[in-house]
Amino acid sequence: MTSLMENLGRMAVLVGALASTHAYAQDTIRIGAPFELSGRFVAYGAQGKRGVEMAVDIYGGKIGNKKIEVLYRDVQSNNQAAVTAFTELTQQEKVDFVIGPIASGIVAASVPAWRQTKPLWIVPGSSSTQLEDAMKGEPLFFHTYPWAYQYHEGAAKSLADAMGKGKKVAIVYSDGAYGREQLPWAKEFYTKNGFTIVATELVREGSADLNPVLQRIRQTRPDVLVGIVQTTDGIQLAKQIHVAKLNIPVLVGTAYPQLQEWSQATGEAADGWIGVTTYLPGMKRAADPKLAKLFPSLTDWEVDFKKRYNREPEFLDVTNYTSMMMLLVAIERAGSTDKEKVAKEFTKLDIQTMLGSSNFAPTPGGALHQAFNDMVVFQRVGEKFVVLYPPDAADGKLQLKK
Amino acid sequence: MQARFVIYALLAIAAILLPLVAPPVMNNLILRVGSLMILAISWNLAANAGLISLGHSAFWGLGSYAALLVANRLGWPFFASLIPAMLIGAISAAAIAVITGRLRGIFFAIAMLALSEGLRVIAVMTPEFTGGGAGVFIDQALRPSTQTVAMVTAACAVGCAIIAYWISLTPFHYACRAMRNNENAAEMLGINPLRFRIAVLSLSGAMASLAGGVNIWYSGFLDPAIGFDLHVTILAQIAPILGGIHTLAGPIIGAFATIGLSEVTRVMVGEQGFSLLVYGVILVFSILCMPKGIYGTWLTWSQRKRQTTPTAPSATKAATP
Amino acid sequence: MSLLLQCLVDAILLGGLYSLMAIGLSLGFGVTRIINFAHGEMIMFGAYGAYFASILLGVDPLLSLPVVAVLVAAASALLFKGLIEKVLDAPHINQILLLFGIGLVLQNVAAILWTGDARSVSTPYALTAFEFDTLLVPHGRVIAFVTAAILIVALFCWLHFSELGRATRAVAENGQAATLMGINVSRMYMISFGINAALGSATGAISAFLLTVTPFMGFHMLVKAFAIVVLGGLGSVPGTILGAFALAFAETWVSYYVPDGSGWAEGVSFVVLLCVLIIRPKGILGQAVAVH
Repeated sequence: MTSLMENLGRMAVLVGALASTHAYAQDTIRIGAPFELSGRFVAYGAQGKRGVEMAVDIYGGKIGNKKIEVLYRDVQSNNQAAVTAFTELTQQEKVDFVIGPIASGIVAASVPAWRQTKPLWIVPGSSSTQLEDAMKGEPLFFHTYPWAYQYHEGAAKSLADAMGKGKKVAIVYSDGAYGREQLPWAKEFYTKNGFTIVATELVREGSADLNPVLQRIRQTRPDVLVGIVQTTDGIQLAKQIHVAKLNIPVLVGTAYPQLQEWSQATGEAADGWIGVTTYLPGMKRAADPKLAKLFPSLTDWEVDFKKRYNREPEFLDVTNYTSMMMLLVAIERAGSTDKEKVAKEFTKLDIQTMLGSSNFAPTPGGALHQAFNDMVVFQRVGEKFVVLYPPDAADGKLQLKK
Repeated sequence: MQARFVIYALLAIAAILLPLVAPPVMNNLILRVGSLMILAISWNLAANAGLISLGHSAFWGLGSYAALLVANRLGWPFFASLIPAMLIGAISAAAIAVITGRLRGIFFAIAMLALSEGLRVIAVMTPEFTGGGAGVFIDQALRPSTQTVAMVTAACAVGCAIIAYWISLTPFHYACRAMRNNENAAEMLGINPLRFRIAVLSLSGAMASLAGGVNIWYSGFLDPAIGFDLHVTILAQIAPILGGIHTLAGPIIGAFATIGLSEVTRVMVGEQGFSLLVYGVILVFSILCMPKGIYGTWLTWSQRKRQTTPTAPSATKAATP
Repeated sequence: MSLLLQCLVDAILLGGLYSLMAIGLSLGFGVTRIINFAHGEMIMFGAYGAYFASILLGVDPLLSLPVVAVLVAAASALLFKGLIEKVLDAPHINQILLLFGIGLVLQNVAAILWTGDARSVSTPYALTAFEFDTLLVPHGRVIAFVTAAILIVALFCWLHFSELGRATRAVAENGQAATLMGINVSRMYMISFGINAALGSATGAISAFLLTVTPFMGFHMLVKAFAIVVLGGLGSVPGTILGAFALAFAETWVSYYVPDGSGWAEGVSFVVLLCVLIIRPKGILGQAVAVH
């Protein structure tokens, strides 16, 4: 049994070494970046990290004479690891600024850990209204991604304008957080805009066959189908709708119809789908007049991104780049690393970014700082995107699918 | 013997009191190591009786949901909520013991896997009751301090270790071992396998649910994917295997080693996907090169050493439970 | 009525895919007595193989299937020789954890090499269907069904009519006796492991146009394959097929006729699985496999 003692002793030393506080360098600005760098949400985390990395690089790696040090942590797409990473960043590394993670479940799991020290926290993901509710009135919480309800507000309105009243809507939603969260909002906004909801069908995440659901929907003969699912299920949905020849004139997704990932996987089935987003590849957005180097025109930025990463950017790349760049500018303007002062500068930012104006505003759900909720509704026509909404940016009319 | 007990007791008290003085990151580690230790002891207890569970996340999840629901709906505080958590674990485990009757080995393992997946589906499909896929936060106003939760976790871990030790002293433990080796033979020896099965599994289930219940108060957010996460099942078995299966010290050492490993890979390997990869590689190699786990390997090594230098005869006995 | 017919057709087509998905797992257990927890990853690698053959070389998944299967089989045989053979006599739990660890490694290797992006091949036949009045029979699913049927028949013939196949069955029935008869058991194990991996990767190649390919698709399929294998009886080829169709019918029926059925379907399969384990733990057609 002495062996047990010794082993325990060794372990204790190991744990102690792990937990010992690092020297805290004064001449650096430290920003925590917990992302999903492995596990099932690795695609999100990878985009987050790319965006942050690129922002720091373009900014020049320094604010004044202080080096920017980003502490990336892998939250392993796991809630316990997220709590640990968050706690480690805020309480051991003592960072005052955190950006990430992205997936709604992982962000939600980080909230209690955030409450311990309350650093300035930018969440460039999670559309969950649970999060909005939990962070009600928090002055240091900044959300740079749309909330669940914002997806459907614009889409329902623009479709009502184009199609007239009295049309029938069928909704397909996934059994995960994503679908469950958005379903009530989709119902509310479509009903408000004069649509009748004839079917709400649940699908299992990762299901191998959606045909049963599609056959049930077929019997209700809807004019519009809204698919509130994650990208993986979105691929399955689009392909099977195409195969089943459901003859629904209007197919609406959430963010996925813009992803190359989705369109490559669905092939010709992608044609005609309508999506909702804050960023669209090839969209025209001008550079900021004063900070053109940091916030170039979207076209220039996309060229730069492709040069660096040899691939097309996705919207989380853009969202994370923009969020991080705004933070760096705010720190510079505050002239200090005091989180309260930086937060103040952050809310005052008035920059023309690739995602639209950087103005933060409170939301009806009670979150204080929300940016980039100018949703764009678009339709895929062949290889192109036609913007349907908002009216001032529209460059085409809704085309019904045959 | 006496001196050793005193040292253990002091160590246990130190572990429980550590959260009072430790930095918050340390508390986080105490919590993770402690809850994994409970889980590992629980898993090892069932494994000792020949019941290999591939669904310990079922108990963990039930415990988490029980604690969260009584807190959010009935306003039960931290300590009180752990009682229904343990009860539901014990009751469901007893039910499983009865239902699975004489299933053994791989069949019992798969039945547990099915149970866990089935419970996840139920949690997803009853959002009015569980919050469903969108998940729920535990009532913020009821949450105790991190220190309290860490202390309770450490205390529970110590408690579970004591229970496991106590079992190793009673005839119960021999009955379990007999069942592990051959249930029919055990029956002939006058052991009622079903009664033992129910007893062992209930205890194991209650422990795993307790770990889940404590943990939800720390992490504060629950959804079906978190509650019935396969990762919990994996950790529950990796820890005893890594530490040394069918031993008292194994799960305890294993819990430290597993969390240590996970932390090292998480912090050191920042590149995409690498941390879980390294975790997997280490798992594969430790099973190939150290099938008896850290403790078992150490024992073999020290026994060999002792054979060459014949001293200290008393230390070997405690190693076998 | 038309809905019932559609339900039957969907179930049959799904059953074909499920059979192929589970058969390697079942046979593997019959021969080596090891549950291959990395079977899902074999499926995943097959799917990526077919996907890249299609994207980079323009080869149809059905044409690349044999090549992919042979490659995965060879790699798996090496894996068996290098790692798995060492735990053949170890307790079950070590085997399970070893294979689980291998699965974890393979998943994350795939995630590192090919990112976590979801992919799928859109061959012309994957997006069209036969239509008989209101009845819909997708071409892709018919092709998948036929491919699965061909492979399973081929497997059956191999097991019964070839020297090597008979030896495999002998090993499955009694390893010790087989050794006495002069069969090189360890070589048979390796061959059988390779063939089972090949069957898994063939399922993957079909999935490349039928389903969505991600590094993490394997676990989901593994759990389902478990249900099927236990339902049918571990180690039994006909039992597995029966189990696959039983599960496909149960799932499809629930999806069609129960409100929110698509969400419940998986849960119902686990209930069925638990019931089978309780009532008849050997499965529908289980042979006398030692319950240990």
